[in-house]
Amino acid sequence: MAGPAAGAHEEVLIRPVSTFRPKLFVGSLVTGLIMAVLFYSWGYQIVNDIGVAGINRPVFWGFYIVNFVFWIGISHAGTLISAILRVTQAEWRRPVTRCAEAITTFALMIGGLFPLIHLGRPWVFWYMVPIPTDRGLWPNFRSPLMWDIMAITTYLLGSILYLLLPMIPDFAILRDRMMRESPKSLRTLFFRVAALGWRGTPQQWYSLEAAIRAMAVVIIPVAVSVHTIVSWDFAMAIQPMWHSAIFGPYFVVGAIYSGVAVLMVAMYLLRRGLGIQEFLNDKVFNNLGLMFLAFALLWGYFTFAEHLTVWYGNEHAEIAVFDFRVTGGFAWLFWTMIVVNVVIPLLILPFPKGRKPLGTAIVGLGVLVGMWIERFLIVVGTLRFPRLDFTAGAYTPSWVEIGILVGSIGMFGFLYFTFLQLAPIVSLWEVREGAHIANRAGPAKRHALEPASEEA
Amino acid sequence: MTDGRLHAAFATSAEVRVALNRLGQDGVPPDAVEIRSSVPLEHDIVPVGGRIKSRLPWTSVVGGLVGGTAFFMLVKLTSEAYPLPTGGMPIVPMPTTGVITFEGLAIGAVIATVATMLYECGLPSLFKKAGPLDHHIASDHILVTVTCDEGASSAWTAKALETARD
Repeated sequence: MAGPAAGAHEEVLIRPVSTFRPKLFVGSLVTGLIMAVLFYSWGYQIVNDIGVAGINRPVFWGFYIVNFVFWIGISHAGTLISAILRVTQAEWRRPVTRCAEAITTFALMIGGLFPLIHLGRPWVFWYMVPIPTDRGLWPNFRSPLMWDIMAITTYLLGSILYLLLPMIPDFAILRDRMMRESPKSLRTLFFRVAALGWRGTPQQWYSLEAAIRAMAVVIIPVAVSVHTIVSWDFAMAIQPMWHSAIFGPYFVVGAIYSGVAVLMVAMYLLRRGLGIQEFLNDKVFNNLGLMFLAFALLWGYFTFAEHLTVWYGNEHAEIAVFDFRVTGGFAWLFWTMIVVNVVIPLLILPFPKGRKPLGTAIVGLGVLVGMWIERFLIVVGTLRFPRLDFTAGAYTPSWVEIGILVGSIGMFGFLYFTFLQLAPIVSLWEVREGAHIANRAGPAKRHALEPASEEA
Repeated sequence: MTDGRLHAAFATSAEVRVALNRLGQDGVPPDAVEIRSSVPLEHDIVPVGGRIKSRLPWTSVVGGLVGGTAFFMLVKLTSEAYPLPTGGMPIVPMPTTGVITFEGLAIGAVIATVATMLYECGLPSLFKKAGPLDHHIASDHILVTVTCDEGASSAWTAKALETARD
């Protein structure tokens, strides 16, 4: 085994958490201000009641549910992808896992807000919690909405712990380092507490690795269940273009697709903003780009299958929704979605040059827009056309709903910028471990194993 | 040497392996030796006579079973206690109850996994004092600490560790 793997190249990862970085602070400030739009709009809605939103008969689910499904989909970026890469022992995962897991945690937090916002009166949310009281209400466990609560709570708890567990040794590295450099500083105190007294003994490493493995195995089916259950919010209702047996896998594929998209964009920005090209290198983008391409194809396949079945069946209520989506008022949205979700990815990602950081980030941005549109078409597209023609209606989002959407994006940025200042965005110990494994494997295999090896 | 403890920092696990063998040959008991590193080491790097073990993933399985059973019972017992009109359909249908049971299984497994890991690692332990060479761990060195009586065994312990570093 060669000597220590820690070196000057690690400084770029440690700097944002060990010193004040004006750029990150400004980032937090700007995104924090955008996040304030969410709370202002939500506060306005609470004071003036749900009527200030654009939802009305028959479109009772509007932007809030669209955003809910969108953010829960985004949350499939991290924990699921990270868990799959850990279980399959993909060596190139090491620089990716943490930035992906953080996306999951923050996206879930934001996604979980939307049912509360949609409720209009968030203070009655606890009625969904099974607590025996004299109010004479009890949650209906047969309802998919209850399954949602259970699944999202489980996934959020699992994702937070799955993010935090591998961070403990990194906090210990930072603690030991900062104790020498500035023992009295607030940051040192934070790292001391966050490290929980981690010492790095063989027993601790053994237990931690066993726990991470066990968590990875548990978290994969949970992640799949979460978006399947979200799809069942729709599929269990006998509504045109909702009541579909493939909605579960269709939503899971869409969720992972949008998750990979946000990961691509986040990694590109991190690489540029923090100068961590050595870690988030072309090889990582190339590998994730291939996964991205696979999901573009899968999503296109599911979308085709879903729409072909409806068109071929030619059932009156369903074809009304289908026609409005494909050739009617929502056609411009539908075809935009197809272009950004299928056409552009298939024009760029099959080629190695397209799987470079900039190419994948551009495709990722497009896919994010496209996947939001997909959720809008599913939610609003169907509700505009109930089974009785004379009850058809329209939906226009109000400024409150738009403000909450914009604010939620700000909130995601704010949480991410704050996280960047609290923990290394690339796992220090995992990268070091990767370097040690590469050293043990010898020079021949080193190139293949080292996460920092830049593709020519 | 501080507080009856001898600290040594090594650059590679090969050096640590040699040092541990020497300590073992000199009769230092495994519980007197502590190895610390910033990365997981090969699993054979333990004090001679010492061993590492974990109850994971079995506790995860048990936690999952407990969680799944608890959630199943929650749904079954409470649905029967507060029966809602279901139009002749079952009060506790297996497919829908299965969804919640699965989530309970997962949440039980997650909590049991983390609790076991914290217990086995002895965490949190916030008030343990830092050693004089702890900063070497941050720079990816491996720290070996030997607890010994002042004067009595420190000489041979120091010798063993120094020999390994030659």
